[in-house]
Amino acid sequence: MSTPLLTIDRLSKTYTTGSGLTRAGKSLIRAVDDVSFTIADGETLGLVGESGCGKSTLGRCVTRLLDVSSGRITLAGTDITRQRGAALRATRADLQMIFQDPYASLNPRRRVRDIVAEPLIVHRRGNRATVSDSVRRLIADVGLRPEHLDRFPHEFSGGQRQRVGIARALALAPRLIVADEPVSALDVSVQAQIINLLTDLKRDRGIAMLFIAHDLGVVRQIADRVAVMYLGHIVEIGATEQILAAAAHPYTEALISAVPVADPARAKQRHRIVLAGDPPSPANPPSGCPFHPRCRYATDICKTAMPALREMADGRSVACHHPVGIDQAA
Amino acid sequence: MNPLLEIVDLAVSFRTSNGLIRAVDGVSFSIAEREILGIVGESGSGKSLTVLAILDLIGDPNAVVTGSIRFRGIELIGQKPETLRRLRGGAIAMIFQDPMTALTPVFTIGAQISEQIRIHTDLSRHAAQARAVELLDAVGLPDPHRAAARYPQELSGGQRQRAVIAMALSCNPALLLADEPTTALDVTVQAQILELIRKLRDDFNSAVILITHNLGVVAETADRVAVMYSGRIVETADTGALFADPHHPYTWGLLGSMPALDGIRRPRLTTIPGLPPALDRRPQGCAFSPRCGFVRPECLPAPPCLTGTMHQAACVIADHERAAARNQVLAA
Repeated sequence: MSTPLLTIDRLSKTYTTGSGLTRAGKSLIRAVDDVSFTIADGETLGLVGESGCGKSTLGRCVTRLLDVSSGRITLAGTDITRQRGAALRATRADLQMIFQDPYASLNPRRRVRDIVAEPLIVHRRGNRATVSDSVRRLIADVGLRPEHLDRFPHEFSGGQRQRVGIARALALAPRLIVADEPVSALDVSVQAQIINLLTDLKRDRGIAMLFIAHDLGVVRQIADRVAVMYLGHIVEIGATEQILAAAAHPYTEALISAVPVADPARAKQRHRIVLAGDPPSPANPPSGCPFHPRCRYATDICKTAMPALREMADGRSVACHHPVGIDQAA
Repeated sequence: MNPLLEIVDLAVSFRTSNGLIRAVDGVSFSIAEREILGIVGESGSGKSLTVLAILDLIGDPNAVVTGSIRFRGIELIGQKPETLRRLRGGAIAMIFQDPMTALTPVFTIGAQISEQIRIHTDLSRHAAQARAVELLDAVGLPDPHRAAARYPQELSGGQRQRAVIAMALSCNPALLLADEPTTALDVTVQAQILELIRKLRDDFNSAVILITHNLGVVAETADRVAVMYSGRIVETADTGALFADPHHPYTWGLLGSMPALDGIRRPRLTTIPGLPPALDRRPQGCAFSPRCGFVRPECLPAPPCLTGTMHQAACVIADHERAAARNQVLAA
């Protein structure tokens, strides 16, 4: 298949905020700034970055929970950027979301049976009997038992709630799921169960996923490709194994080296790059490359010119004037 | 040499309408001067309660704490409030997961640190302020003079955690209790804070108890590790030994659950089936037995005790069987 399932073309999302009642006191925040990427059918793209980098905002723009400021979102050939009403509702059947907090994203007053059935009822898929059958099947598919159907969210552990959220997202057999930090609120052992469940689902059903996370290990386990965001920009995007084996963007390099490894022998051999300072505020981004104040390779050009995302000889794309370990002539 | 802190058979129970529930159940460990001990466990394992009990900070009228906690030979359980108050923030300091809730928004960082210094020392207001700025500098806050004049909400999460650490260090604590100090932080900021915690031993001669759910964090920071499950320590050893030859099936499960950043990508992660038992429905024997693939009759009547000398584990699997059993879990 040549056309990708999802195409994001130069998407930006800006907010005006600020103190003061006057326009002068307001400032423009570019939460997502000129971002482009594609996701193929059945592919999982991991979107990583630290708090405030715009990854969740981007995910919410893709699912149309937020309106974009500029750019275009195309799903299966249809421009969904400004869809409204019935058209948007029809799109949502193909485009579902799994949220980070399984405590906040399930209605505490409804039973699991009704939570999972709701998308089917809203989209008028089947009658009472078929909906009930579908719900039973979905609940089994995510590893819950029939007796769970009549329980309320508070009767479940965090991992089980996340399973309910996944069943709800699967109900309409979507083509793309946006998962925003679906495992970061869970304990390690439960996190592993949910990652395995998502891995199985994507293999068995061929659902494409935009998997948003801050944990690179989790992303490696599930994503075919990975995009790294910093301050509203994608700074590097490519095959997961390729990027994790040898990062080309200095920020990716530092991010990978900062992950603590549960192996003291190997930890001693690793070269830790400790970044100075904190990520800058998107309300007041640095000139030139947004990463240059914290970058150990920065030169004068980085202070003035914003590097474009360019494709390298090995297939990945990097937005850097001095990509690590890559021959500039390539 | 006597240990700095020695905990023997600590139990924390809560009075409920269904009787007494044991959240921490017979925990014993000690920590030497300048040692970093990592306590690892998942939610509800009792790791935070264990550390809160040291300073009598559980703050629940239904909590019952028994056992012995000796700090420099002085028993802390049942100690006079006045003595405990002098210890808190003095010889024993504590930092928490969320630095925002540990600071008040209505005073500047400098005022909050110098207040603590003045409570524990007889420094003048002016000298205490100067000391606060010194400390902010020592924990690596850029422009410490300006930082001291700022309110907590004007700092980033990593800067706030540094400020809280500066406050904890203000009276040169012999022991720092750190409860998930980096969990709320981004990974690049976490790396900065862990480096700072490792440096405390050299700069302030502090011992540290580091509570975390992240095995990577202990592997890179702690000298010794204790793994907790359902209110008990199930394994404890020097960090190198624990990761080189983990003894307890729960530790294997935790290690297998962690996705690795390098090496072969496993098609599936190892999982621990099921969930930790509810505290009021803990099995009579080993609390891990319902989730363990190696249960034997001797696991069921009573929880196994920690055995071994340097490397201790509460498990009946014999030394010669261990490697095969572990491979069975981790290769699955």
